[in-house]
Amino acid sequence: MDVWSSLMDGFATALTPMNFLYAVIGVILGTAVGVLPGLGPAMTVALLLPVTYALEPTSAFIMFAGIYYGGMYGGSTTSILLNTPGESSSVVTAIEGNKMAKAGRAAQALATAAIGSFVAGTIGTALLAVCAPIVVKFAVSLGAPSYFAIMVLALLAVTAVLGSSRLRGFASLGLGLAIGLVGMDSVTGQRRLTFGQPLLADGLDIVVVAVAIFAVGEALWVAAHLRRTPMHIIPVGQPWMGKKDWQRSWKPWLRGTVFGFPFGALPAGGAEIPTFLSYVTEKRLTKHPEEFGKGAIEGVAGPEAANNAAAAGTLTPMLALGLPTNATAAVMLAAFTSYGIQPGPQLFASEGPLVWALIASLFIGNLLLLLINLPLAPLWAKLLQLPRPYLYAGILFFATLGAYSVNLQAFDLVILLVLGALGFMMRRFGLPVLPLILGVILGPRIEGQLRKTLQLSAGDPAGLFSEPIAVGIYVIIGLILLWPFAYKLFRRTRPARTPLVPANSGAADYSD
Amino acid sequence: MTSQTTGLKGRSELGVALLLGAAGVMVFLDANGLVTPYSKSDPVGPKTVPFIVAGLLVVCAVLLAINVLRGGKGEAEGGEDVDLTHPADWKTILPLAGAFVANILLIDWAGWVISGTVLFWGSVLALGSRRYIRDGLISVALSLLTFYGFYLGLGIALPAGLLEGIL
Amino acid sequence: MTIVVGYVPTPEGEAALAQAITEARKNNSTLVVINSSKGEAAVDNRFAQDDDIQGIEQRLATQGIQHVIKRPVRGHDAAAEVLDAAEEHKADLIVIGLRRRTPVGKLIMGSTSQRILLEADCPVLAVKAG
Repeated sequence: MDVWSSLMDGFATALTPMNFLYAVIGVILGTAVGVLPGLGPAMTVALLLPVTYALEPTSAFIMFAGIYYGGMYGGSTTSILLNTPGESSSVVTAIEGNKMAKAGRAAQALATAAIGSFVAGTIGTALLAVCAPIVVKFAVSLGAPSYFAIMVLALLAVTAVLGSSRLRGFASLGLGLAIGLVGMDSVTGQRRLTFGQPLLADGLDIVVVAVAIFAVGEALWVAAHLRRTPMHIIPVGQPWMGKKDWQRSWKPWLRGTVFGFPFGALPAGGAEIPTFLSYVTEKRLTKHPEEFGKGAIEGVAGPEAANNAAAAGTLTPMLALGLPTNATAAVMLAAFTSYGIQPGPQLFASEGPLVWALIASLFIGNLLLLLINLPLAPLWAKLLQLPRPYLYAGILFFATLGAYSVNLQAFDLVILLVLGALGFMMRRFGLPVLPLILGVILGPRIEGQLRKTLQLSAGDPAGLFSEPIAVGIYVIIGLILLWPFAYKLFRRTRPARTPLVPANSGAADYSD
Repeated sequence: MTSQTTGLKGRSELGVALLLGAAGVMVFLDANGLVTPYSKSDPVGPKTVPFIVAGLLVVCAVLLAINVLRGGKGEAEGGEDVDLTHPADWKTILPLAGAFVANILLIDWAGWVISGTVLFWGSVLALGSRRYIRDGLISVALSLLTFYGFYLGLGIALPAGLLEGIL
Repeated sequence: MTIVVGYVPTPEGEAALAQAITEARKNNSTLVVINSSKGEAAVDNRFAQDDDIQGIEQRLATQGIQHVIKRPVRGHDAAAEVLDAAEEHKADLIVIGLRRRTPVGKLIMGSTSQRILLEADCPVLAVKAG
């Protein structure tokens, strides 16, 4: 398949008036939720899942993609003007960005963030268009044993690497897998965990689970701890950059992109590590080291580019393998399921036009975001004056509406409340939510691959190791799981060395 | 570590361990109750994965309990709008949950327009807004708008309930 | 004597504060500075930040004026907070800043100053930004 011609077809689809309209809606919504505190792209896509019942899949995914990229742009605006980064990936942007804004250079900080995001997003999307088909070509040759191994790897990597406590990550994963079990077993038709309740026989709808965990749980959690002291926002005019700012920005943009994309594409890469690496690199390479810590433009340009390139990178395993590695990708995958589209390597073959239209719309969305963010940044900042009772009441209102419209039965709302309470409890006790959602989504698929594998080998467990790729992946899994113990042992033998990595190794579970 | 009596104080996190354990036992019992003859086409069967999940949950429950008793603590999630310096504000949460439950009870009988109004208005009040009339008007408008929006835009007929025939 | 001043970090607010300081020095009064927010939105630029308040604190201290600074955030609007403080401290004078507004703007927006003027039990001094 020729990438270029497929992509051009994708542009043709994405530029039809209807789809273009959804791209515009998506980027506007995305920027808005990025700016608004308490709302993120994952929650917004979850709240919008009900539209999948009425919209064409292509239009829906074009809108979701716009929200995904838009959230990144909006997030950088608040982290620069308010110094309250909403997502962990914009923490680094806030370090220098807010200092720049306080020094009266808010316009330049916003400009380098927006243009850098555009550059990195465009390059990242191009890399996605080139890499994804290669990954697919490789992946379609794999059998069930390798698939099983890859999915287990994705699950364990997200659980074990992200978050501050491994133990709590695994607890969350267990809960997610258990939720995924509810309903009729697809092979034998046996009812599992339904407790004789016929309404549970079809399983818990992924829309209800996603809305409960991301929207209801979050709204209740924030409501319980609402920050009452108002903050000041730094007033800003239209973002712009001088010649000197351009000279200082373009290299960090490119370097940030190089850091961001591969990390985003890895099963547990995320955006935090590349943004941090980009910041450290720019600090080391800069010709103005005295400005770092006081508002250096390189410290905004690099991490912001890394953040957006990572966002594009994340879509590679999502589209090519059906593996989500962050919350928004997980909810988008839920949308695929909701359409009855099977995610995985066959996606490019079975839904080629949809996938390419989605990729094309990422290019379009990026350009649209630059156009609506550069001149309108001051306007977006005004959104922060929205009274919060309306904001959080609105989240609950639309969450209820979305969950109810799935089956039009009040029983789903009971589940919404119960799982929302679970989401609240998880936030209270530091259980990460991402492993739970991945468990719900990937659990049934992993079970399917496991059963297929052992069916092929007639029940012989050796069948799991029948493909060399699978064996290789098990070795990687072993390394990930054993790493903290090995690390601890290493530290015990050589206690003089201080760790460079922030403390998110599992060793903390036993000492903190 | 402090003595056992004070050691249990402020350890509400043990409840999480208890919940995990209970979930694990529940998954185990449920899977154990399945009757499946061995089938050659499905050697794994519907029980295996639930057993693994149950095991994972129970192990996590035990390890978490040990971790908490040794003084471990889950890190509560922060955020732009979250102020962790004050404890959970139950005076906001409980009325909020009340509005939510009211909506569940009302939705099929009274219809979405009424139950949605109650939900939004109740939530806004619970969250501390005091402009009763303006909030009420916004609630009604939002419910009506979504009712017709879902009907005309998405083809989903939300229940009209008591207002059947009027809407 | 006690003087209550409604402060906001704007030219009008600064003018009100400056006038209140002049009045307080004239007859050696206690100055009560009120800067409130409803605390509804994430951002409220009329709510003074910590360094701003510290600056005022220092300014009053160096001029030797007895003072109380209050920063209530409890969901009430600014007029209610100023009137509340006036009552609590048995104020002899309230000083407020006025914004220039067209009659139509006033009609639509309602007015904090108007409410204070109408409901206060003591004289109210309204100041415009210079």
